[in-house]
Amino acid sequence: MSPTKTVRRLLGLDTAKDQYAYGEDPSYGYISESRVAEDWIKTTCGYCSVGCGMLLGVKNGKAVAARGNPEHPVNRGKLCPKGLSEHHILNAPGRAKQPLLRKNGKLEPVSWHEALDTMVERISGIQARHGAGSLGVIGTGQLVTEEFYTLGKLVQLGFRTPNFDGNTTLCMASAVSGYKLSFGSDGPPGSYADLETADVILLIGANIADNHPILCNRLDRNKHRTLIVVDPRVSKTAMMADVHLPVKPRSDIALVNGIAHILIRDELIDRDYIEHHTNGFEELASFVSTFTPEHVSEVTGLSTTQIEQVASLYGRAKAAFIGWTMGVNHSSQGAVTVAAINNLALITGNIGRSGAAPFSITGQCNAMGTREAGFTSSLPGYRQFDNPAHREELADLWNVDRALIPKARGLAYPDIIEAAVAGRIRALWFIATNPAVSFPNYKVLEHALRGVEFLVVQDGFHPTPTSEFAHLVLPAAIWGEKEGTYTNSERRISKVNRAVKPPGQALSDFDIFLALAERLGVRQDLYPGWQSTRDAYSEWQRVSAGRICDYSQFSWEEIEAAGGRQWAGDRLYSDGIFPTHDGRAKLHCVPCDPFLEQPNQEYDLILNTGRTVEHWHTRTKTARVDLLNKMVPHAWLEMNPVDAARLKLRSHDRVTVISRRSHIPALELRITSIVAPGQVFMPFHFAESNSNLVTLGAFDPISREPNFKQCAVRIEKSGTH
Amino acid sequence: MALPLYERALNQGSYGLVRLTPDRGVDDAPRTAAVEEVPSLLPSRPLSPGEQYRFHFNMTRCIGCRSCEVACNEQNGNPADIQWRRVGEIEGGTYPNTLRHYLSMGCNHCLDAECLKGCPVDAYTKDPTTGIVLHSTDACIGCQYCVWNCPYSVPQFNPERGVVGKCDMCKGRLDHGLEPACVNACPEAAIEIEIVNTAEWRNNFSTAESPGLPAAIHTVSTTRITLPTRLDIPLERVDADQIRPEHAHLSLVFMTTMMQGVIGTLVFSLRRRASFRELLTLLCITSAALIISTLHLGRPAYAWRALRMWRRSWLSREILLFTLFAASLATMTAGALLHDTSAGFHSTLRSLNAAVGIAATLASAFIYLVPARPAWNMLHTPIDFLLSAAVLGSMASALGYSRSLTFVLPTTAAWIANHALRLYRLRASGLFELRATYGLLTSDRLFAQLCASFAVIVMGALAFAAGYIVLALLACSMGVLLARYLFFVSVVPLKMGLTFLQGRHA
Repeated sequence: MSPTKTVRRLLGLDTAKDQYAYGEDPSYGYISESRVAEDWIKTTCGYCSVGCGMLLGVKNGKAVAARGNPEHPVNRGKLCPKGLSEHHILNAPGRAKQPLLRKNGKLEPVSWHEALDTMVERISGIQARHGAGSLGVIGTGQLVTEEFYTLGKLVQLGFRTPNFDGNTTLCMASAVSGYKLSFGSDGPPGSYADLETADVILLIGANIADNHPILCNRLDRNKHRTLIVVDPRVSKTAMMADVHLPVKPRSDIALVNGIAHILIRDELIDRDYIEHHTNGFEELASFVSTFTPEHVSEVTGLSTTQIEQVASLYGRAKAAFIGWTMGVNHSSQGAVTVAAINNLALITGNIGRSGAAPFSITGQCNAMGTREAGFTSSLPGYRQFDNPAHREELADLWNVDRALIPKARGLAYPDIIEAAVAGRIRALWFIATNPAVSFPNYKVLEHALRGVEFLVVQDGFHPTPTSEFAHLVLPAAIWGEKEGTYTNSERRISKVNRAVKPPGQALSDFDIFLALAERLGVRQDLYPGWQSTRDAYSEWQRVSAGRICDYSQFSWEEIEAAGGRQWAGDRLYSDGIFPTHDGRAKLHCVPCDPFLEQPNQEYDLILNTGRTVEHWHTRTKTARVDLLNKMVPHAWLEMNPVDAARLKLRSHDRVTVISRRSHIPALELRITSIVAPGQVFMPFHFAESNSNLVTLGAFDPISREPNFKQCAVRIEKSGTH
Repeated sequence: MALPLYERALNQGSYGLVRLTPDRGVDDAPRTAAVEEVPSLLPSRPLSPGEQYRFHFNMTRCIGCRSCEVACNEQNGNPADIQWRRVGEIEGGTYPNTLRHYLSMGCNHCLDAECLKGCPVDAYTKDPTTGIVLHSTDACIGCQYCVWNCPYSVPQFNPERGVVGKCDMCKGRLDHGLEPACVNACPEAAIEIEIVNTAEWRNNFSTAESPGLPAAIHTVSTTRITLPTRLDIPLERVDADQIRPEHAHLSLVFMTTMMQGVIGTLVFSLRRRASFRELLTLLCITSAALIISTLHLGRPAYAWRALRMWRRSWLSREILLFTLFAASLATMTAGALLHDTSAGFHSTLRSLNAAVGIAATLASAFIYLVPARPAWNMLHTPIDFLLSAAVLGSMASALGYSRSLTFVLPTTAAWIANHALRLYRLRASGLFELRATYGLLTSDRLFAQLCASFAVIVMGALAFAAGYIVLALLACSMGVLLARYLFFVSVVPLKMGLTFLQGRHA
């Protein structure tokens, strides 16, 4: 501020009137002049996978406002607080603006040429010495589908390492595996519209009020529904419920099996559907016979009345919907829990009809895009590694040697990290993800990050807790700076558009991938004539044609005009035919095992982790939005008054969370009946109080998803530890 | 006021119009795909005389997503530290029978708006048509008296601007038939605008009450709140253990102490004719105090405007009386310099000056008698202001003259008794905010200062008795300053319950 201005301000002659003036936006009317836009760009929100349609206001090349698109079928004009303030991240400090290469221990600015030449040279050298598989690549759910598709080819056919996975393994892998177990393919069968037409909605481990707030709007349009929420914590969503089932941690399988038991006992099942469309009913019926209400009551902590009531509600519903998120997925039994949930839908015929579906509510904005096009846990287009016909089809579509297509999936995310610790992976490339905050059991991860010879972090922001370890930082464009498509939880492909230029020298991930392909000498083979993500989309349309996730009928223009289009239409499996060898879905017998790290005398409490509505994942973005960050500036720990009294702790005390692995110091204590006695809860968003210092490095044997949700801890007043 | 929303949506295809008020007369108009008709969140008819607009908050719908807060800040271009709409959390019960609910509150556009009554510059108006409590940033001088007066801490001071700002129900949008930004943003349609008949509301405003909010009686809040039907579990605010000291207002600490010292001295010097040097010193202190007081303002250059509302605002009256006091003191000083006034005239002027001074001290104290700040709103406040004047005055008036314990001992004893009694009453109070003030005063952070304030007063009295008048005066000034500092920082205002982490917000 100039001296004159300072004096004028101190005297009160200047009240920053211009800065606070109001103006008239042609579309939105009276509003702060600072939010008046010249142009509104249609796009899709870049936070969660609800996939809200948005209009991004731009003025003089800067994003100035974000609005819900009232014409978009998902959100009909509404946005959550993160979406409403999303334009701020495009002007936020902390963006990565130029490539940085570690020289003599320090990250120094280099040209793109030097950065990419070095990257290819170093990685090729490591691969020459240790084999192609010594490169591990961890992607994300944050890119546009066209970029995932491009990246998959680059990693598998360019760098030729199979050890490629996404951070989606920390999130939805169990749902993917569970769908494959039951139905033979990934793909959420339902739609958000089902929330409006179902008469019973059962949410298991899904706190949508904090994590997918706009879905509450869809749910609340349904005036006749009965909402049942299964959650050990009295979450915001539990407060919306007609029936809240406060289950003991990880007893969900017992509950689901117990419901199946009652449904079969009381003949509340669809014999006809079972007979024509499923396998394994007799085994299931015999298996769940031991899950009597009394037994389930013992395991879950619910009363038999509650269990009978919920089973009866679900069984007698005309259309019953089951939604779940991380409470189910974040488990070493996640995949089979999903299969157990699918059992309920299958034996009652609650699938493939309006309002009736088992439905995973996805996390990241484009986790679905990477599942479909990404070439990590399956071949693009939900093709299978172990299916020769699929491999050949793909090789022919790409016009590459059939032998080039890998016959098996490479290492999954946790196994890549473990291989890096063991020295089998020597180079790591992270794209748009922040494992230093998001990966469980931080100490092991740190070992991997420090241990590899070459670590590349490609991100929109720097420094991040992960990029600080990097040998090479590649600055990438983020949401709002590039064009392509996102696919949301309900399989809706929505258009994402560029509103502003990326800062500094940052490039779109797509351009970075092509530049690397150029250096690897595979650009013409893999991406013939490609210039933009539109070219990637055209090829992806051909590659997905005829598959369950068929994009071939939807042009970008059509998608944008329609506010998104759902591949395979409103719902999957309406004909009762499943993509298995005999077209029938499989019922699975899922035992309910106790979670791995049970509390004992030394570690007497169960730590549960989760989210808060104001923040997104590891806060690389939301920590930069001043208002969101000031609403919730730091982490906290929720503890029941009974435990607090026993430990002689008071509200706002600073406490340390200690597990067998490490400890988190100085958390602000919230004493509240939101959590059960014997359990504590903390949000996982905060690098400064990283819940993954203490979480368990245990993974689902099928999906490889971490068991973030339960570990044994003890709590001490900070300063005494 | 017309709300031509439907027509506008049809004709302009505006993106901003999510919710529509079907307007008679255009019902037959062709409907475009962009227009989705949903229940209106705006009244569908104009206001009649005796009516005003108000917010209706449906607690049973709110999911605590906080979109309304973001929408408000975006609408008004406010920085993150200022939130004209805030969300609070209330909870109760025992696991698993736990209840959690949320409050989303902007301005309550009260029938008896205390912000408006106290404003010394008439920056507030209650809009005659809509009943919206409007604030003019142009008129505002940043005295923040409204911040003290509002039991909901709705008006918020913006240090970047030097003025206060507040929720105006998005009048600029309402005038164009658009719902307020918070109403528009809420995904759950939990906030809406309604019409209320003011006379009927004044008669029964029980639906303005909610757990986590101060009683509506203070200002007759117009916001209607739909509470959850389940009443067996009492809901309590979650920020109750989150009491932080308030702003110290150091300029006011010094100004009030200095003025009380000067006025006390003149009152205790009434029996004799003060010398030019004495009067000049007092005049200098007075001038300095008045200059310091303007530093409290966000816009010191417009301090003079505060004289305007003397008929209504104790702040205006204080400033007016202090100005008169300074003028009469200046006249006395000039008279003493020129030696040309008669003894009779001088004596009358002295008495007049002392009377104005006492009145000014009382006016000054009455500023703090605001229901929204219970620890100030006690008889102890004016008594403290008068006794502080007496303690400092009885000592200062002895400077250069023979010391007399006649006044000093009783006044210091009374000062201590008043403070001690106040502490006792705070501790024993049934009101949360008063007990919280006691808690703050006896907290690790403030307890040493509290003890020191008493100790130095006692030391001052002892020093005086021992003949060290200057030392005594210094000690007692320090004691009064400390006590005044504690007076400002330890007040716990009435306000809405906020979230667990945000409770520390002013």
